[in-house]
Amino acid sequence: MPSSYPRRNRTRGELALAAALVIPIVVVMGGLVFWPLATSVVDSFYRIDPMKPGTPFVGLANYGALFADSNVQTAWLNTFAYVAMAVVLETIGGLGAALLLNRVKHGRQWLLAITVLPWCLPPVVNAIVWMWIFNPSYGLLNHALLWLGVIDARKVWFNDQATALFLISLVHVWRMMPLTAVILLAALQSIPRDLYEAARLDGAGPIKSFRLVTLPLISSGLAIALSQSTVFAFNLFDEAWILSGSSLDTRSVIIQVYLTAFQNLRFSSGMALSILAMLASLLVSLIYVLRVYRETRYD
Amino acid sequence: MRTPLSTLPGRIGTATAVILLVAWSLGPIYWSLVTSLTPPLHLLGTPSLWPQQISFEHYAKLFGATSMSQGNAVQSVWPQFSAALTNSLITSGLATIVTVAIAAFGAYAFVRLEFPGRDLLFVAVVATLAIPAYTVMIPLYRLMISLKLIDTYTGITLIYVSAFLPLALWLMRSVYQAMPISLEEAAWLDGAGRVYTLVYIVLPLSAPGLIASAILTFLNAWGQFMVPLVFSPTLATKPLTVLIPEFVTRNYIDFGLMNAAGILAIIPPVLLVLFLNRYLVSGLMAGATK
Repeated sequence: MPSSYPRRNRTRGELALAAALVIPIVVVMGGLVFWPLATSVVDSFYRIDPMKPGTPFVGLANYGALFADSNVQTAWLNTFAYVAMAVVLETIGGLGAALLLNRVKHGRQWLLAITVLPWCLPPVVNAIVWMWIFNPSYGLLNHALLWLGVIDARKVWFNDQATALFLISLVHVWRMMPLTAVILLAALQSIPRDLYEAARLDGAGPIKSFRLVTLPLISSGLAIALSQSTVFAFNLFDEAWILSGSSLDTRSVIIQVYLTAFQNLRFSSGMALSILAMLASLLVSLIYVLRVYRETRYD
Repeated sequence: MRTPLSTLPGRIGTATAVILLVAWSLGPIYWSLVTSLTPPLHLLGTPSLWPQQISFEHYAKLFGATSMSQGNAVQSVWPQFSAALTNSLITSGLATIVTVAIAAFGAYAFVRLEFPGRDLLFVAVVATLAIPAYTVMIPLYRLMISLKLIDTYTGITLIYVSAFLPLALWLMRSVYQAMPISLEEAAWLDGAGRVYTLVYIVLPLSAPGLIASAILTFLNAWGQFMVPLVFSPTLATKPLTVLIPEFVTRNYIDFGLMNAAGILAIIPPVLLVLFLNRYLVSGLMAGATK
């Protein structure tokens, strides 16, 4: 019988077991995430610089200096460009891939595996593979465009800032689009089939039933996909670093954090910037979630 | 009944879309493979979509003791490459084992046991998924220096575990929540304790979830670049992702060598996708939608 021993002992035993199971989580997350996060916030109000004596309290001076720094401003603009291009392309491409996967009957598992593959590869390797494709002298891109007659001379793609930002976004999209596709596929598969049947009986064509049935029912998946794309694009580092290093033309906010903290050793300034980047990406994600929820609440 | 799929234009449209999706996803990988098998001199000519002549020269540079470059024997990169490969395998493997173990046991407590602060702790841990790694990296760097854990397997593994544990915990919790409690109750009736039930009944039944968490953790760790760039300065722990971009020498970028090394570095992820894609996709779906 389950109640053969006193309830109090059982609860105490459960508490001890729970503690034993949860303590590793508390130690790891507390020591390596929560404590450093709190330190980051606090230290961003001090001047912490191994090259300078003392660590005086400077209030918002680190933040103020960031807003005045033209390199930081460029990095923000580049990051916004990455986010805008990545989110739009990943959402359109991911939705297209998800609709296709949802429709294909034969060999769907294989097509899904192929679609997911780029997400599974190390971002550094992806960037190297694409760097070779973009190579000005021997790259596939120049040769293909010359052969097609789109361009009449080889281009050094990374000489032009807008092109460089677009190509880096493209490499990022190649890696991250599968995630959007999988999230949206999961949402598509949860739509009951009879809803489409009902829409068809009411005379709705494929476009109308997409707008009236599919879109509202995948909206929460869409919100998750949008915020994932945004957060990852805000964190863009690997692709830009491999493809064009510390170049200011393509420098993202995270590259700026890395340079500030680990090459110029201005720790507190780097922490202040990293906190601003975190707040910005959380804020944008929150906007999507709220908007999507508000717009789909009517039914 | 005629659905859009069964009409001829519908079929052609779908087939075209499938071909485009496959070309987009596999094209760059195929091109990298072709490049890695092309003799160095041919790389400087007009590219062709399949290798005119297959050469293992780039792979020989990675594996051989010495290799020939422009008529001179040069030291191969095998010592560095093998060290980095070992480091990648050890750090990713350790991170996977530790993360999945902590998550598998911890998530059980969050689902089946009651303790004060349970929900708050869970929400706090999962919320860190939204905190980008670099926000904690600078304090973490100073912490690791003071603990003398820079450039050690322990240090790297601990950072990976703290970064990938929230996702694994979330996955495992959703697995346990979907599991009927009646199985465990039957075991308790037979006199089995909590721990025995967890290890011998719950964990084996959760194998698909455990595999999914392990794959996601391994792939994340295997692809990491920024963390080892800061925390693995030497070949003592430097992984492939940090070593491969260093093949850019002062004079020229050896794209053949980099593509060959890249192809070798993607073998583990490709094998996981080929054989365990079912678990991977279910993990991604559960992690993203629950």
